[in-house]
Amino acid sequence: MKRTHERTAVAAVLFLGALAQGARPQQAEAEKAELPKYEKVAGLELRGTLDSVGSDTMNNLMTYWAEGFASYYPEVKVQVEGKGSSTAPPALIEGTAHFGPMSRAMKASEIDEFEQALGYKPTCLRTCLDALAVFVNKDNPIESLSLEQVDAVFSKTRNRGFPEDVTTWGQLGLTGAWASQPISAFGRNSASGTYGFFKETALAKGDYKDTVKEQPGSSAVVQGVAESRGGIGYSGIGYRTSDVRAVPLSTAKGKEAFAADIENVLNEDYPLGRYLYIYVNRAPGKALDPMVREFLKFVYSREGQQVVEKAGYLPLPVDVCRAERELLD
Amino acid sequence: MVASLTSARAARTRKGEPWVYVTSGALALMLALLLGVILLLLVKGLGFFWPGELVQVATQDGRTILGQEWHAEDVPESAGADGAPRTRTQYRVGNRKEFGADFVWVDDDAVVSREIPRDALFVERLTDTPTIGTLKETRHDGALVAAGGAGQAYETYLRLVEEARDERLGARAPALEEASRTAVFALAGGQEVEIPLAAVVRTVRPNDIGLFDKTRVYAARLWEFLAAPPRESNTAGGILPALLGTVLMVLLMTLAVVPLGVVGALYLNEYARQGPLVRLVRLAVSNLAGVPSIVFGMFGLAFFIHVVGDGIDRVFFPGRAAATFGTGGLLWAALTLALLTVPVVIVSTEEALRATPRAQREGSLALGATRWQMLQSIVLPSALPGILTGMILAIARGAGEVAPLMLTGVMKLAPSPLIDGTPPFFHLERKFMHLGFHIYDVGFQSPNVEASKPMVYATALLLLVLVVVLNLSAILYRNRVRRRLQGALF
Repeated sequence: MKRTHERTAVAAVLFLGALAQGARPQQAEAEKAELPKYEKVAGLELRGTLDSVGSDTMNNLMTYWAEGFASYYPEVKVQVEGKGSSTAPPALIEGTAHFGPMSRAMKASEIDEFEQALGYKPTCLRTCLDALAVFVNKDNPIESLSLEQVDAVFSKTRNRGFPEDVTTWGQLGLTGAWASQPISAFGRNSASGTYGFFKETALAKGDYKDTVKEQPGSSAVVQGVAESRGGIGYSGIGYRTSDVRAVPLSTAKGKEAFAADIENVLNEDYPLGRYLYIYVNRAPGKALDPMVREFLKFVYSREGQQVVEKAGYLPLPVDVCRAERELLD
Repeated sequence: MVASLTSARAARTRKGEPWVYVTSGALALMLALLLGVILLLLVKGLGFFWPGELVQVATQDGRTILGQEWHAEDVPESAGADGAPRTRTQYRVGNRKEFGADFVWVDDDAVVSREIPRDALFVERLTDTPTIGTLKETRHDGALVAAGGAGQAYETYLRLVEEARDERLGARAPALEEASRTAVFALAGGQEVEIPLAAVVRTVRPNDIGLFDKTRVYAARLWEFLAAPPRESNTAGGILPALLGTVLMVLLMTLAVVPLGVVGALYLNEYARQGPLVRLVRLAVSNLAGVPSIVFGMFGLAFFIHVVGDGIDRVFFPGRAAATFGTGGLLWAALTLALLTVPVVIVSTEEALRATPRAQREGSLALGATRWQMLQSIVLPSALPGILTGMILAIARGAGEVAPLMLTGVMKLAPSPLIDGTPPFFHLERKFMHLGFHIYDVGFQSPNVEASKPMVYATALLLLVLVVVLNLSAILYRNRVRRRLQGALF
């Protein structure tokens, strides 16, 4: 357990160099220690309801955070509603939600709508990292896939340039009985941020095939793949079960393939890593509602980031966590 | 041959009962399907709470696995030495945090030894999946209190768990990991894990206890399922908020739909002049019953929430940042379902009104009663069983409907209780949880779907039982009313 933490910390520093250009490395070195624990603000009695509307990938994460937060402030009730990332911006604009968890960044059009309605931009907070995994049935012997192959399985436009449409496992290199096994592709419905992210990155903005079976939830995708022998589908790595296997992915044919685990995402070797966000509505110059602020502080505390691991996602590097936390004050 | 067949058919037709087999066969098929569903739910839903045996197996490649045998299947396209397909078994090993997954598949022919260790423990926890392993040490404030997990040491462990729980419940101590009492468990494969005892819900030694104790564990788990709030992002613990949400929503819906439907039917049947217009209205009402429920959900969202709700917010709660009535809630969901089920009530009430004997109506009018007096004291009482039938049908439809609720206020997690001690006690504007949505959510959205699947079956079973109970109480009431009416008819 402890070793994992150390490794995470080391990987976090590596990640820093690769990703956060603005941060000063020596400062991060000093602060890489550990995140502070959440401390209840003395004398602050919070009471009321917090609403979260948005991503269903983050549904469980938000619920875990809500459960953890409730152990500090039993009088604060956090309601979680998750029907897809696209439901977050309207809910924030209408004021029906305090938090808009999203598994992708807001689109420019969504930010514009927000700005038109309220006169300022929404505040974007990165909460954790996720690796989007490509799952196959546990009996499937395939060793690795390149993004071109994945693109050719899921997309009809094949923007990544695979020469032919892929419909059987034989076309991906399997032999024997598997060669003629048809591929049965499972995906998410279009309100999902996972759908959008996969389209954006893996399919290079191409269009999905009509034969991709759209599922109402991330674990429905996994269950579909588990039930169907020739199945393939994408979901957050947190949804894996013993009936499916996450295939290592490479960015292009012939390159090394990387498994969807913590280090590979932090090193940016794994091609389908992403941030999971929470958007909040905060007028410029105004302080956040204390309830909202404390909840978000909990998210960025050691407890909050441990919960992330439990939900199957990857905690933020410590310095990113600190940077986001500073946005709250 | 053909001749004899036709003559046999002719004989049957002559007897006047040509298709008895088909009709009875259809009924039997239907009953078999129904029974199948109920059996499936019973087996999959209720079996989950039974404390199953913990098996320890060692494999050829040196792995040790301790867990519950969960599922077995043939390995596809494989043949063992004797030509029979190879088999494999899925074990529930728990410890998701430590192992990364709490289920593993093991090929049966790779197993070299299999035993049932008596001291294996199944520890259910407030957070995280269960720990399956053996007790190694019990600590208090960092000091070793008991070593090992047998006899006295196990008793000490149980006592400390009890103490830690009392402390937690008494002080509502928040940070569980700061608890002073902990225990170290040895997991299969040699790893060790330290757990704060305040987070332990229940410890079971399934291999060491008799049938009676197992039954007690079973009952305790079943009770927790019914009477506790959910834990672990709805995949463990109970479903009380969803159960309450469903019951309250259905009751509220009934309160709204019965008066509305009965009054509408009264006008249609008693006051309105029968003509093409009324026939058209009747047709429209019947058609309303066929409108897909999601359309009602859209209407509820657009009208109740965005028009009525926003209006209420503007008038009564101006200046509040967050919407109060202008967002989904129990009231709007109940009203939406009331609209959805009103055709059922109207149709059955109308039928009951028509069934009132003409002689009684005319008799009361002849005695000088006004039309309203006649309706009130003759027609409505005799139509009451029919009205109740409508109500029963409405409940049956409303309790199982989920799609419109998703637009009008159902939540994955709605921790604010619908009834509590703060005025106005019933919080109709609050969002709620619902058994039907819970099934959808746990089944399709939870990350640890293997572990939560049995919860889906158990919840489905409960929803079924709930609908039966609601209906049965309405039917019993109707029967009482009927008997009273028969008594009144001399």
